[in-house]
Amino acid sequence: MQILLTNAGSYPRIGETPELQLLRRTIAAWERKEASDADLRAAEDALVRAALDDQLEAGLDLITDGQIRWYDPISHLAGKLAGVEINGLLRLFDTNFYFRQPVVRGALQRSRALIVSEYEFARSHSSKPVKPVLTGPYTLARSSIVANGAYDNVGALTRGYAVALSLEVQALARAGAEVIQIDEPAILRWPGDLLVLERALAELAASKGKALLALHLSFGDPQPLYERLQKLPVDILSLDFTYNPKLADHVAAAGSDKPLGLGLIDARNTRLEDAAAVAKQAERILSRVKVGPCYLLPSCGLEYLPRDRARSKLKLLAQVRAHLKGTP
Amino acid sequence: MSRAKLEKLGIDLPLFPVTSVGSFPKAEGLGSARTDYQRGKITREELQRREERATAFWIEKQEELGVDVLVDGEQYRGDMVAYFAENLPGFEQGGLVRSYGNRYYRKPIIVGEVKWTQPITVDWWKFAQSLTRKPVKGMLTGPYTLMDWAFNEYYADRRATCLALAQVIRREVEALIEAGCKIIQVDEPALSVRPEELPVALEGLHVVMDGLPAYFITHACYGAFEHIYPKMLEAPVDNFDLEMSNSGLDMLALFRRDPFTKDLSFGVVDSHSHVIEDVATVRQRIEQALTVLKPEQLWLDPDCGFKTRTIEESVGKLRVIVEAAKEFRSAAVPAR
Repeated sequence: MQILLTNAGSYPRIGETPELQLLRRTIAAWERKEASDADLRAAEDALVRAALDDQLEAGLDLITDGQIRWYDPISHLAGKLAGVEINGLLRLFDTNFYFRQPVVRGALQRSRALIVSEYEFARSHSSKPVKPVLTGPYTLARSSIVANGAYDNVGALTRGYAVALSLEVQALARAGAEVIQIDEPAILRWPGDLLVLERALAELAASKGKALLALHLSFGDPQPLYERLQKLPVDILSLDFTYNPKLADHVAAAGSDKPLGLGLIDARNTRLEDAAAVAKQAERILSRVKVGPCYLLPSCGLEYLPRDRARSKLKLLAQVRAHLKGTP
Repeated sequence: MSRAKLEKLGIDLPLFPVTSVGSFPKAEGLGSARTDYQRGKITREELQRREERATAFWIEKQEELGVDVLVDGEQYRGDMVAYFAENLPGFEQGGLVRSYGNRYYRKPIIVGEVKWTQPITVDWWKFAQSLTRKPVKGMLTGPYTLMDWAFNEYYADRRATCLALAQVIRREVEALIEAGCKIIQVDEPALSVRPEELPVALEGLHVVMDGLPAYFITHACYGAFEHIYPKMLEAPVDNFDLEMSNSGLDMLALFRRDPFTKDLSFGVVDSHSHVIEDVATVRQRIEQALTVLKPEQLWLDPDCGFKTRTIEESVGKLRVIVEAAKEFRSAAVPAR
């Protein structure tokens, strides 16, 4: 089975050196009107390139732009859609990170591209393929509030977001993205809505062209849903294994009809896993996967870790693969 | 029930006691003092002198306003987890992580067994209490929140970490009680982040509090309480201090379904808004509270700490709470 190394999405935009604090300084200056939009863009570019470099240096096969330009995983996308206003701060699932909540006041509409230019920038500075990452329609819907009766229920709101995002999926595929990742952590908190998620993913799948759609689930335990997740209209099923120590056993026993993304490396804790032990877990699962390639990745975006530890986790991915190949 | 406990501890409080959640904005130019100390411009002793002056400022302010249960204002603390991490062996300072937008903080890392070797907050509590005859609360961060807001490289899992930290915090509670402190607040703002882990958080609070003679308060905020209520009432605390106003009092609906069985420090002003509420707004919130709580259950305070407000905003908001409390006291039957 071919194993590819990838990143789950975000990457730290700050570090301990002055160069790695450029974006923080520039945003602060920009807010005081002491830096221009061009200065801000240049600082973002510099930190995106630093994130790309760390991933390439660690030997990843499929990298992300680190979502360096994103205020948060919710408002960065929802805020660009017509019909949405951005409100106050709310905790992102069980993290100690806060996002700005979208208020949906009218029909959702994608009147401009969301992350296509971000994807193109990253691709033009990377020797490896770049994976664009979108927060999915169901999670965006669950993170929003509806005003003016714009949508009747979470199902209708999810459909609204799905139609808008399907245009983005289409544009990303046309721009050359080979794998597009959709993050839907909210389904682990509201598993009863799986049908709502399924319909939304079908909407995105219809627009993906030749690209592969990867569904990534983090911030919770996917085991109760595992068999039903296998039937979703996505090409790759990518899971966070850190919430349930028995999930690896479960997946190894149940097998997989789809290529899997194995989020076995904990992106929420600084402790470095033992590469040999992780490889053993991965091996048991991979022997039961029908089609590849499969992916090794951190359990979620890496920006919940300090930069030095995020880099170590990336390098750990390569060590795990070396163990799998018998060449540690 | 809890009134009886307060009496047994020898604490005499009026009906609708007014308190605050913990932090106040840094006073007396303390912000620059900390930077000056870090740059070696002033000595440790000079920094401490200024922190004491700022603490005295806040004690005097609270007395002047007529607050009933005082706090020291945490003038000497950075944030509620980092402060304990800095003072407990086993923790190490971590690198920068983002909390939102362009804001970052240093998240501590547990790298070895966390040990309580000496009192952390007791000297500050004694100092603050020496300045007033009103009770000053002992202020601690709870084990579940300390666990959740730090990285862990030493303990086996989250529960083991929480329970080990609970033993450490219990030692600090014992030290506060020995020094004479009778009202101790153990904050758990992370209480509702993983509803399935509520039993772990409750277990931690039992380790901290069981069998110890103090009136215990636990503050929690920014939560999805609908997932942990009424189970959270199993906590061994006498008083939950909850953010109510920021969410439009929506928790009252939960209390209608399952009665709130403890005392409640009810946040009647929003701690994250610059606007100072008028007395009428606070009066209305208290009236709402009294539709589901008995007067003896109700304490009044802001939603959360005031460290992000200005001194003027903090004082203004507390003043409004005290005025509203006075109105309700004169209208209500005396507590005893």
